[in-house]
Amino acid sequence: MSHSVMIIDDEKIVGDMAKLSLEQDGYEVETFLGGEAALARLTEKKFDVVVTDLKMKGIDGLEVLRTVKRFYPETVVIMITAFAHLDVAIEALRDNVHDFFPKPVKIKELKQSIRKALGEG
Amino acid sequence: MRELIKKIAALLPGRAASGPRRLDLKELFHLFQAVLATNNQALSIITDLGEKLSGNYIFDTKYLQEAHRELTGAIEASLANFTLLTGGQYQIAPAFTRINSLISFMLTGQGETGAELILPLARLPWDRGREVGGKNFHLAELKNTLNLPIPDGFAITSRAFDEFIRHNHLQEAINFLGDSPAEGELAALRHTIQAGEPSPGLKEGIERALAELLLAPQGRKLRLAVRSSAEEEDDLFSFAGQFETVLNVPPTGEAVGAAYRTVLASLFSPGAVEYQRRLGYRPGTIKMPVGCLAMIEAAASGVMYTADPVSGDREQIIVNAAWGYGPSVVDGATDPDLYRIAKGEPPRLLAATCGQKRIMSVLDPALGIKNVATPEEQRARACLSQEQALTLAGWGQTIESYFKGPQDVEWSLDQEGQLHLLQARPLTVEGGERPADGPAPDGGCPLLMRDTGLVVRRGIAAGKAFVVRHPSDLDAFPKGAVLVAEHDSPQFVRVLPYVSAIITDIGALASHMASVCREFKIPTLVNTGQATSLIRHGQEITLECDDEGKSRVYDGLDPEVLARRKPSGAGMEELFEFRRKKYILRYISPLNLVNPLVEEFSPERCRTLHDVLRFLHEKSIQQIIDSARAPKAKGQVFQLTLTVPVVIRLVDLGGGVAAGTGPKIGQEQVASRPLAAIIKGLTTPGAWRTGQVAMSARDLLSGIARAQELTASGGVDNFAGISREYVNLGLRFGYHFNLIDSYCCERAANNHLYFRFVGGAADLVKRSRRLQMMELVLAEYGFMSKSKGDFLIARVSHLEQDELLRLLEMAGRLVAFTRQLDAELANEEDIGLYAKRFLAGDF
Repeated sequence: MSHSVMIIDDEKIVGDMAKLSLEQDGYEVETFLGGEAALARLTEKKFDVVVTDLKMKGIDGLEVLRTVKRFYPETVVIMITAFAHLDVAIEALRDNVHDFFPKPVKIKELKQSIRKALGEG
Repeated sequence: MRELIKKIAALLPGRAASGPRRLDLKELFHLFQAVLATNNQALSIITDLGEKLSGNYIFDTKYLQEAHRELTGAIEASLANFTLLTGGQYQIAPAFTRINSLISFMLTGQGETGAELILPLARLPWDRGREVGGKNFHLAELKNTLNLPIPDGFAITSRAFDEFIRHNHLQEAINFLGDSPAEGELAALRHTIQAGEPSPGLKEGIERALAELLLAPQGRKLRLAVRSSAEEEDDLFSFAGQFETVLNVPPTGEAVGAAYRTVLASLFSPGAVEYQRRLGYRPGTIKMPVGCLAMIEAAASGVMYTADPVSGDREQIIVNAAWGYGPSVVDGATDPDLYRIAKGEPPRLLAATCGQKRIMSVLDPALGIKNVATPEEQRARACLSQEQALTLAGWGQTIESYFKGPQDVEWSLDQEGQLHLLQARPLTVEGGERPADGPAPDGGCPLLMRDTGLVVRRGIAAGKAFVVRHPSDLDAFPKGAVLVAEHDSPQFVRVLPYVSAIITDIGALASHMASVCREFKIPTLVNTGQATSLIRHGQEITLECDDEGKSRVYDGLDPEVLARRKPSGAGMEELFEFRRKKYILRYISPLNLVNPLVEEFSPERCRTLHDVLRFLHEKSIQQIIDSARAPKAKGQVFQLTLTVPVVIRLVDLGGGVAAGTGPKIGQEQVASRPLAAIIKGLTTPGAWRTGQVAMSARDLLSGIARAQELTASGGVDNFAGISREYVNLGLRFGYHFNLIDSYCCERAANNHLYFRFVGGAADLVKRSRRLQMMELVLAEYGFMSKSKGDFLIARVSHLEQDELLRLLEMAGRLVAFTRQLDAELANEEDIGLYAKRFLAGDF
């Protein structure tokens, strides 16, 4: 069965590009434009991987991370962020974030990180 | 920016009341280096943007805005240094501001757009492309920049579209459409648009534009083609056949208004909505400018591809031709003549196949166009002469090189035998990859067809055949089926998301459906002649169109064949947001100003930030060349004596001469790498021409006169301004002058070599022979050159340091070898002979 990936970013292009590239590798991908909608979806469905932007209006990436880890400790969380916010992202490492990437994110590296987290080699 | 320019202007010579002092060579050289440094910074940002927007990175708007801010900063810094360096003599800042505002507008949506409702194509400025849509813009470029024969016409702009929507209160109905509107909703909206009225301003604009068209020689016979030119149409995606074109429209405001509404309404046809949805457009978000063009009275028409879209061969041009007007070809209704032409100067006909051309499109006396049977006697006759086909191919090459990619071009031949171009848009071409191990073996299932028809799109697909007899059959098209039909049809687009493959009896490589299938990577085979008779509705079949352009259709789902399927992979280009963001690169990356030796190398021709940077770079070089020739160059002065009889006065601008040397030096003390390379060439054993030359009195007199003329114009004997990475060397040998200017460092983007030669002792014919000989040699080394009489300029740039050093050494050898050579060049044959000798090292 294919793995499921949730993408959260308040800009549509980020979700669109991530979805298109990850679906080509056989992942099931759902995209969300903000933390609220994503957390609502998480009450219905568990995802294997959550890729979230750090700075978002309303519920931000750190809150998403904490919520996911509380309810689904085994779900992998990957943080993406503007270069200027790298220090916050590094902080998030303590909260069990699996990996973080400054934007623009090299798709190949994101895929590698997901594969590694899922034990796919 | 304006403030910055003002500040700089105050520093310029002759501008301030007190009159600031002139900058000396050393100061100018530092400014020159500063321009190079900031240019490089800007070029790095451009390269980075290109990489990040290549589809291999996920990026957001913040990144683009930040990169654009940095890029603007770097170019402004470069401009500031450039303005000081050149004394403000070039009007490049307005070009930069214009281009940059286009980019800002795309990134922020803030900025001004034009207020015009109508824009004549013949007077369309290049930066107004988005207001008239892709199709109109490309036509205007063909006419105004490439001077190709395009019918007269005008564009009804996107502003007019907005006004039409507003005037007829349509916005609410459009907003009401969901993501997948029902056919009924769309039909109602189309009906409302058809019943709408252009605003009084638009009506008046159309009447005025028509009056202008009616002044043309065609006069009363004028009929118009009213064509869609949606914002992104004929761009990355063709929208081929998706929107209406109304042909044979009388030149009255009323008739054009009605045709305009028909074109607008076609935005909301089910097929077009599906196509837009597939490309990420919510229905109603795309704007529709329209083109109104004088119709050509067509004897024949067709489509030209400037590459083979199926095999990926970019060395061939394919021309399709049929009698009458274009629709029979682009609708796939006829079997056209086919010409294959090899690109080149001149292009060469490889093969010509006469099609059956059973159907032709003619004007309907009432309105529009209709398909009729082609008269028997015309069918077997080729539509184009070889010369006409080659003329088209020549134009095709020009258009492809201008738009920097393969093109799909529509053309018509008029009753007088003149060719006209009606459209040019990018052509989707498959990759040229070839399997190393030849064609694959047949699969296990029985073959229904082998190598019949034309492969429009390669690939492997399987499914149940769905035979379409009537357009309404499409309503029941099941997901994953193979569409089998008698004819091609652009109507198939609305089911393309569900289609695994298409096979038709009749069809052409150049039809609209073919274009769309290539864009969406759907394996497609047309013109098989027998698909609908061999394949049953509901039958499971497998289609294989391989990399060689061969086709096989199997009875059944063939697992062996399906195992050979390669993932096609949807491209990022299919994402609307990606395309929209990537669009800014068009005003950033391409380089249009290529040759600095032509008149078009001007601020007015700058269309991208890269062009602006190139202009700054070249004109900075020019400035430093000119400044270095000024006799009062400041700096540490040396006298250099070579092992050949040459003495040069050197001004060291920094690091050009080894430390701790006295005022008189030998060539071993030269630390300037480019000068050292030239000296190595000058002193190559055997290259230096010695010995007396037989010279007539006429030669001698003519040489003395020319030398006096040149000296009076400011030449200085043997002088060089140098640094570790730079040389500006002027040499005078008797009656001729040489100038070599080069910046040669580890960064290829900074590097250039400028070579100038003028004068000579012999008469003008002989002197010009010497120049021709030099041009042959320089062309062999990749220089661009320009010559007139006894004056030659040649240049290269952006070369790696080692390569440039090799050329500098060659330039030194060439200077040595061509001393007094003019007098020896007794006849024309000697030109090639001496060039060969030089290249072979036979001095």
